[in-house]
Order: sequence, then C-alpha cells, then structure tokens
Amino acid sequence: MSSVQVPILEARDLTKQYVVGDHAVEALRGVSLSVAPGEFVAFMGPSGSGKSTLLQILGGLDRPTSGHVVLEGRDISGLTDTEATRLRRESTGFVFQFFNLIPLLDVRENVGLPFTIAGTDPTRGELRDRVQAAIDAVDLTGKERNRPDQLSAGEQQRVAVARALVTRPALVLADEPTGNLDFATGTEVLEVLLRSCHEQGQTIVLVTHDAKAAAYADRVFVFVDGRVGDEIVLGRRAEHSATPLIARLAQLGL
Amino acid sequence: MRSLASLAWRSLAARRLRTILTVLGVALGVAVFFATQTTNATLDAAVDTTVTQLVGRADLRVEAFAEAGLSAGSLDAIRKTPGVRDVAPTLERRTFLVTDVGPSGDPVTVLGIDPATDRSIRDTTLVRGVDLAPDTQRSVLVTEALARDRGLDLGSIVTFYGTGAPIDFRVIGIVEGDGPIPAVFGRTAWIALPAAQELFGTASVTTADVTVARGATVDGVASGLEAAITTEPYVLVRPAEIAAGMRDSTADIRTTLALVAAVVLFVGAFLIFNTLSMTVAERVREVGLLRAAGATRRQIGSLFLLQAAVVGVLGAILGALGGVALAAVVVGFLHQVEGLTVSGVTVRPADLAFALALGVLVTVVAASEPAWRASRLSPVEALRSRVDPSVGMRAQLRWLIAIAVVVGIGGIALLPGGLASGARLLGPVLVYCVLLVAALASPFLLRPLGRLASIPFGWFFRTETRLIRGVLTRDPARTALTVGALAIGLAMVVAVASVGSLSRAAASAWITDVVPGSTVVTSIRPIAADEGIADQLAAIPGVEHVTPVGTFDVALQPRSGASPYRVPAAAVSGAAMLGDGRLTFVSGDRASALAKLDAGGTAIVPRSLADRLGIGLGDTLRLGFGDAVTDLAVTGIVEHTFPAPDGETVLVSWSDATTSFGALGADFYAIRYAAGAPPDAPASVATTARQLALQPTSLDEIRGQAEGAVGRLFGLFDAIAIIAVLIAGLGIVNTLTMSVVERVREIGILRATGLTRAQAWRMVMVESGILGIAGAIIGVVSGLVIGAIMLLTQGGRIAWIADAPWTTIVVVAVIGVAVAMLAAAYPARVASRVSIVRAVRGE
Repeated sequence: MSSVQVPILEARDLTKQYVVGDHAVEALRGVSLSVAPGEFVAFMGPSGSGKSTLLQILGGLDRPTSGHVVLEGRDISGLTDTEATRLRRESTGFVFQFFNLIPLLDVRENVGLPFTIAGTDPTRGELRDRVQAAIDAVDLTGKERNRPDQLSAGEQQRVAVARALVTRPALVLADEPTGNLDFATGTEVLEVLLRSCHEQGQTIVLVTHDAKAAAYADRVFVFVDGRVGDEIVLGRRAEHSATPLIARLAQLGL
Repeated sequence: MRSLASLAWRSLAARRLRTILTVLGVALGVAVFFATQTTNATLDAAVDTTVTQLVGRADLRVEAFAEAGLSAGSLDAIRKTPGVRDVAPTLERRTFLVTDVGPSGDPVTVLGIDPATDRSIRDTTLVRGVDLAPDTQRSVLVTEALARDRGLDLGSIVTFYGTGAPIDFRVIGIVEGDGPIPAVFGRTAWIALPAAQELFGTASVTTADVTVARGATVDGVASGLEAAITTEPYVLVRPAEIAAGMRDSTADIRTTLALVAAVVLFVGAFLIFNTLSMTVAERVREVGLLRAAGATRRQIGSLFLLQAAVVGVLGAILGALGGVALAAVVVGFLHQVEGLTVSGVTVRPADLAFALALGVLVTVVAASEPAWRASRLSPVEALRSRVDPSVGMRAQLRWLIAIAVVVGIGGIALLPGGLASGARLLGPVLVYCVLLVAALASPFLLRPLGRLASIPFGWFFRTETRLIRGVLTRDPARTALTVGALAIGLAMVVAVASVGSLSRAAASAWITDVVPGSTVVTSIRPIAADEGIADQLAAIPGVEHVTPVGTFDVALQPRSGASPYRVPAAAVSGAAMLGDGRLTFVSGDRASALAKLDAGGTAIVPRSLADRLGIGLGDTLRLGFGDAVTDLAVTGIVEHTFPAPDGETVLVSWSDATTSFGALGADFYAIRYAAGAPPDAPASVATTARQLALQPTSLDEIRGQAEGAVGRLFGLFDAIAIIAVLIAGLGIVNTLTMSVVERVREIGILRATGLTRAQAWRMVMVESGILGIAGAIIGVVSGLVIGAIMLLTQGGRIAWIADAPWTTIVVVAVIGVAVAMLAAAYPARVASRVSIVRAVRGE
C-alpha cells in the first residue's frame, strides 16, 4: 500500500458466481483492495479475468456473492436496488466502452442527465454553470448543441467523461473507455480523466487491457482468473510512457 | 425457400407477444368487417322474409289510400278484373287490449282476414292450435311474441277495443315468430274479416292482395285494376317496391356500420404496418447477414411478406369466428331497436370468403412496404448500421394512402347498393378522407401536441417528462402511426357519439316543438268532432285546452308534372298551435299563418319537404285525393311537424281535411293543462281517457321513447367504434414494447446514471400518456368534423358549438389516455426490469 490516507474505496474478500446453463462460473474468487482519495487506479487483465465484474460491483451496478464493498466508509454490498440507484446518482460516475450517450439528446443534455434524473433543472443557475464547466473541461466548448451522431467517437467518449464528472462523484468508474478508439483519440480521453484526477482530486478506477492506457494510473492491479495477480505501483509522474509497465508485465509473463 | 419459410415462422414464434397482438389486431378488424357483412345479409334476409309474410305469393297489392278503405264494391271490381286469380282482402287496424284499467300496454295490430282466400296467398305456420276457419267468428290467432308478452295461451280470452263495445275473442292458435307486420315488435293478431269489420264498425278493407292468373301479365292486370277501381282512392304496389322501401329504411344503419367497419379495419392495417416496419428496423443486421450469405433481394422481401401472410391468415380466421358472434349481438340489437323481423344470423359463404381475403390482402399490402424496404438494404450497410428505428416518413405516408384505398374499397363493398349508391356515398367517403388526413397529419402534429401534452405530466413527473420530451419531439416517426391509429379510433367514437347525442336531443326537441300540450291521448280509430270526446276531455278540471289532430295521406302533384306521390298530412287547429307557442317558423309569419290556417285553403309545410320540392312561401301545393285536386297556398315553412312513418306531415285545417281529403276525425288529442292546475289533473285525464277507450301517454314518455330508440342505436355504433380504440391500444403495446427493447441500452445508461426502477417505469408511462393525450386531441377535433359531415350529409343542420357533446369529449379523452397508459403497463415493466450490466455490455 502506497497510501497512508483513509481509503475512499475498499473491497474485502469479494466473490461473484454466475450460473450459466447448469454450471456456475466464478468471476471473482476473493478480491481485496483499497483505493485512496484522489488516486488513479487501473485494473488490467485478459478477457474473463473478472476486472469488469469487479468494476460493476464497486459502482453498485451489481452485487457480490459474498464479501463487502465500502465506499466513503459505507458498506454498499447489501444495498437494495433503490439505495444502489441513489448511490449511483450521488457517489459514482460511469464511462462505458460502447453506447454511453442518449442519441436523441444533445451534448449539454447528455452531460446534464444526472441532474435531470435527480429531478433538478440542469439548464438553470449553478447547475448550468457546472454542466458548462464539465463540457469545457473535456475540450468540447462550442459543441454543446451537437447530437452524438454529429460527434467523432473520441468526442462522444469525452462527453461521457464529462457526464461522469459533472456531479463531482466520489468515484469515477471507466470500463474500457478507450477500447473502441484509436491511439490519438484514446489519448485525448485519458488526458481528460488524468486532468480531473490531478486538478480536481477525482478518484478514478479504470478497467483496460491496454498497457498504454493503464500507464496513466498511479497503481495497476493485474487480474488473473478472478483474483488480483499482482499490484504494480507506478506513482504520479509527469509523462506516461508505458515502457516500465510493459516491462513489469513481461516479467509476470503477461 | 423452405428454410426461409421456417425462418419466417421462427421469427414470429420468437416474438410471441408481438405476433399475438398483431394477429389480434387483424382479427378484430376482420371480425367487425365480417360482422357488418353478416348483419347486412341478415337484414336482407329479414326484408325478404317480411315481404313474403306480408304479401305471400301475391303479385300486386291494392292499398286503400283513405281511412274509409276499399269498399265491398271495389273488392268485387278487383275480383272481376281480367287476369286476376285470387284476391285476399285484409282489414288492418291498431287497437288496444282491454284490461282492468282500460286500454293498456302497447298497441296491437289486428288483421281481419278471409281465411279461405288468405291461405291461398300466404302461408302461416302455427306452433300450436288450429288455423282460423272460414266460419269462425270469435276466434283469434296471436303471434308467439304477443302470447309471450301478454301471457296468452290456447283458450285464453283476449278483449279488443273497437268502435263499439269491446269484443272477446278466444285464442285458438299461436303463430310462429313475430308475424308479418314490421316495426310493431310482433304485437299482431288475426281474426276473421267479418268479425274485424264488426269490431271496427266498417264494411271496408284496407288492402287486397292479388295473384295473377296463368297467361296474364302483372302489368296487364295492373292497368286493368286501375280502370276497375273508381270509387275510392288507392295505390297499387308490387312486392319488390315494398322490399325496396324496407331496405331503404335500414340504409342509414348500414351506411354507418360500413363506415365504422372500414375504420376499424384501417386501424388494424395501421397496427400491422407499424409492427412490420419496426420489425424490419430491428432485424437490419439479420438481413445483412442473410444477404452476405447469398440471399437475394426477392428472398428477403418474400421472408417478410410470408410473415405478414401468416399473421393475416391467422388473424382473418380468428376474425371470421369472432365476426359471426359479433353479428349475432348486432342483429339481436337491431331486432330490438328497429323492430325488424329477424330470425337467426345469415352467413353467406361469399361474405366469408371476401372477409378472409380482405383481411389477408390488407395485411400483405400493409407489409409490402416494409418488406420492400428490407429487400433494398445493401448488405454492407445492413451489417454496419446500428438499429435505426426511424422509418422514412414520406414512405410511411405514401403507404398509408395505399392501405387506405384498399380498405376503402372494402368499405364500399359494405355500403347498401355499393358503388351504385351514388349520393349516399358522399358522406362515408368524406368521413373516410377526414380520417385519412388526420392520420397523415399525425406525424406533423405530434411534435407541437407532444409538447402541449407533456405540460400536465410535467407538473407531477417532472424528471420523467423531461427525459421523455426530447425523445417524443425529436423522433416522431417512431410513434406517429401509433398516435394516428389511436386518434382515428377516438375520432370515430366522438363522431358517432356526437351525432347520437344531437339526434337524441333533436328527437326530443322535435316532439316538444310540435305537440301542443303535455299529454297525448291516442285513439284506435278516427273520432269525429261531433262525438264530443274533445269536450269530455276539456271538461276535466285543470285542462285548459284539447287539440284534436287527425292524420291521413294525400297525393301530392309535383309541379314538374311527374306522377303524384303519397305525402302524410295532419289536420290541426291553428288557434291551438298559436296559443301553445308550438311550431318553429323558418319562414312566414307565425301568427298570421296559424290564424289563416283555420279558415282553410292554406297549408304549413315542414322544412324537409319544402327543401325537397323547392317550395317557398306563397307557392301553391296541389294535393289530390281520389280524382279531386285541391290547391292550398303555402303560408309558412316550419322546422318540424308531426312525424309520420314516411316523412313529416303537411299541416292543413280541419275544414280542408274533412271536406277535401276524406279525414274522418281525430287520431289523437294533445292536452294542455292550465297554469295552477291540480296536480292530479294528468291522472284524471288518464282515467277518463281509458274510459273512453283512449290510450294516454305523457309527453315525457314519448320523448323518452324517442330518445331511447336513438340512444340505443348510436350506443351500438359507438360500441363498435370502441373496437378501433382497442386495436389502437394493441398497437401501443407493440410500439412501446419495441421502443423499450430498442432503447435497452439507453435505459441502461440512465439506470447507471441514477435512474430508479420506478422512474424508468414512470418514464414509459408518461411517454404513453403524452401519446394518449396527443391522440385524444387529434381524435376529438377530427371526430367533431366527422360528426358535422355525418349530420350535414344526412340532411341535418349544425347548431354546433353550443350542442357539442362535452361529456362525450371528456369521456373520450379519458378513454384515450387510459387505453394508452394501460397499454404501456407491460412495456413500462420491461423498462423497469432492464439489467444495467447486460445493457451496457459490449456489442
């Protein structure tokens, strides 16, 4: 553990089983980890290693079979659906690989969605300023009125990031946000995430199987067969070369 | 091709709910269509049966024109006319049965027949007892209906009121069914002719049915009869003319039924088109795969058409079954409402084939545009494209018109007389066009109306409304057809209900407008002025005035020189009408016209007749009676006069009626009570009237009967129109379910962003509610327009806004929104159950 602060997020002995047909699949087999406030953490690993499942459980989209998740000092593993929804609304922000935006809403409306859902009007007063600030922060100033189909794939993902950030959640969870993008546009998205972490102190958990993306993180958890196979501490750096990480992964035989 | 067929079948089976709803939509459409055909066939059969019962094998019927009837001399002349084989005379009178309190119950039609000659022309089937014999004097046959109504059986004694003392008759036979007289609800009895003549104090008969001897022609006998009958006025009718007249009397009902049926089928076609359009959109990638694997355009098109055909055939078969059941209900209802002699439902194989074919045809035509669209997809585009729900708006609209034409042709087939019905076609065609325009305009109206409709929802469900508003107003293509279908169904309900309520009000107002009093006492025979009955009634305490009214027929000689035709007339007292403030004058001065009437030589004409003949004030009306012709000056045209079975009566003075037109006396008296009359005055009048063998009825009862009859008929039409709303509801279930399935990812994102299950559920409900309101607005507005057209083309006039049926409008709006929300319950549940994890998982 590199951090000495009280963790903002803790996973304790998480397991998750799915039943597929007649046999059970163990997606998580006892995962424990903690994330400090303001930290940028990446989960890496091959397909089926359990990293996305863990992300969904950490964000309150899914429940663990056993174990506990503590977010901001509160155990969220046994929440009812309504409580989990409230948690998502107030404490977490998501960015997915595909289909992050509502096609019929423009950029401003998509970014303001969390406020709309919460029953407030994102077109007025302070909330309007926050929406605008989030759009500015992802370098989409001037494209507020564009609809998703009028944006490039990278721009669309940045809108998704702006939406995840707009409520200033305790935790932003990004599941392969660059998986569908080329290197240049992927970098734009990662830069935006990194900036929010460094400048706003936003805690970020990133799921990826791309070492170049993971290299943006302060720490990388490597998943193998539903367990944390290794933890690689990269530390906060000015540049994000993936070379050290790749070397380390090679050592692990990944 | 075989494997494609199996793919089509499996695709239907996989989307079971959608398939079932679509089949149901087709079935309801076909059911209403087939029910209408069957109702028409049944009414036709009823007319044939009635005419056969009425005139039997007679080739001609001589009908007395005046109340005096046909004398024995005229009957002799008829018998001696060359070419006449048999002559069956009948004396037909309405009377009342005697009970402890005097005449009561509904009037009974008594037919005095000569058993010997009558049975050579007419067959009467007895269910019990024996037939009248030539020498029976005090025996009576009654219909099953009358026996049931009055608890009669063989051996029962029936006492009829006549002109003298009431006479007792013993029931010796029960006749099957309702008897031959239409519109009397089966209340018919037969006695021997001499007994009838004794009962009613006459030596005449009212009709003589004639068969033509072998070797003679009907035309030859007809001209022979015209030369032979010289003493009394009469008309000669042929059975075909009677049948045509009866068919004519059901024409309005049939036209309305045909219209409603076409509308229901059209809404069904909407449902099919919309469902298949969305199915194609949903399966774009599947089509891409098939094309990439080598399927030709033709195969893709056939795949979708095949699916539609399966749905069409299943729906049509189900619909035909439901149609027979529905027809039984409709026919049972019409039997009650119109008093037609209907026995069972007549199912014609040709109708069945036509309904089945039309059901399948409409389905396939509705499907052919989506099928064509699917076949045009390029494989590359199809594989790449994401699900694109928006269907080309213009293509949609074009196709709607095509469907409308197919359904419209089907509808015309239902109209009485089909294409040949000429002017009668105008109304339904106009109505249908309005509906089509409403449907076509829905996509354009949806945006503004959606905004408007979302306002009330915004008060209660701000978040959900805000989330859905963007979807509704930016992508109207998805929901426009659904709204259009709902609007059409609701429009029909509004139109029928508003015409119904106006007709009901008109029927009621009409009676109030023309009857000079608040109680009517009816006589079974004309009462001459010198009998003193009016004076006896007037002597009752509290009675201010008694107005005698006599009804009779005259022959109107058109100015064009065309042959004269029969017009009903009534003898009234102008002074009484004036004093009572009755009659609404359209032109002419009320006071002077009514004052002049009593002096004779003038007539007051109902607006309907004036319009038809182009009569104005000061024109001369040439009225014939027998060989004499009397000219009357028209001094007034009024909104309405007394109704008669074949039109409204021309009002003439009592002096002209008795001296020139053969009127013998009053058929009813209108009684007006003085202001401050004792509260039991109506009861005293009723008692006295019964003692005088008169039937008392209050104006309220008459109004109630008139309103009730109209109300029941329009209630039936409305019930059928509701089926269209039901189909639209199925369409909403389909559209919203598909829309939810399509938006699973959107809903997943919203849920991940903090939308609760309840909010997701409410979001879909609100969407549907907004659609419901939009549909209701379009429906109510076009419904009122259609109502106006229906009234105008039936010769009515609009006293519109004031009379607009506000209750109906509110009820229909509520129904529209309720149907929409009810239909949304299932899709909303689906939306609330969306799994976020699965929804956001990669492609």
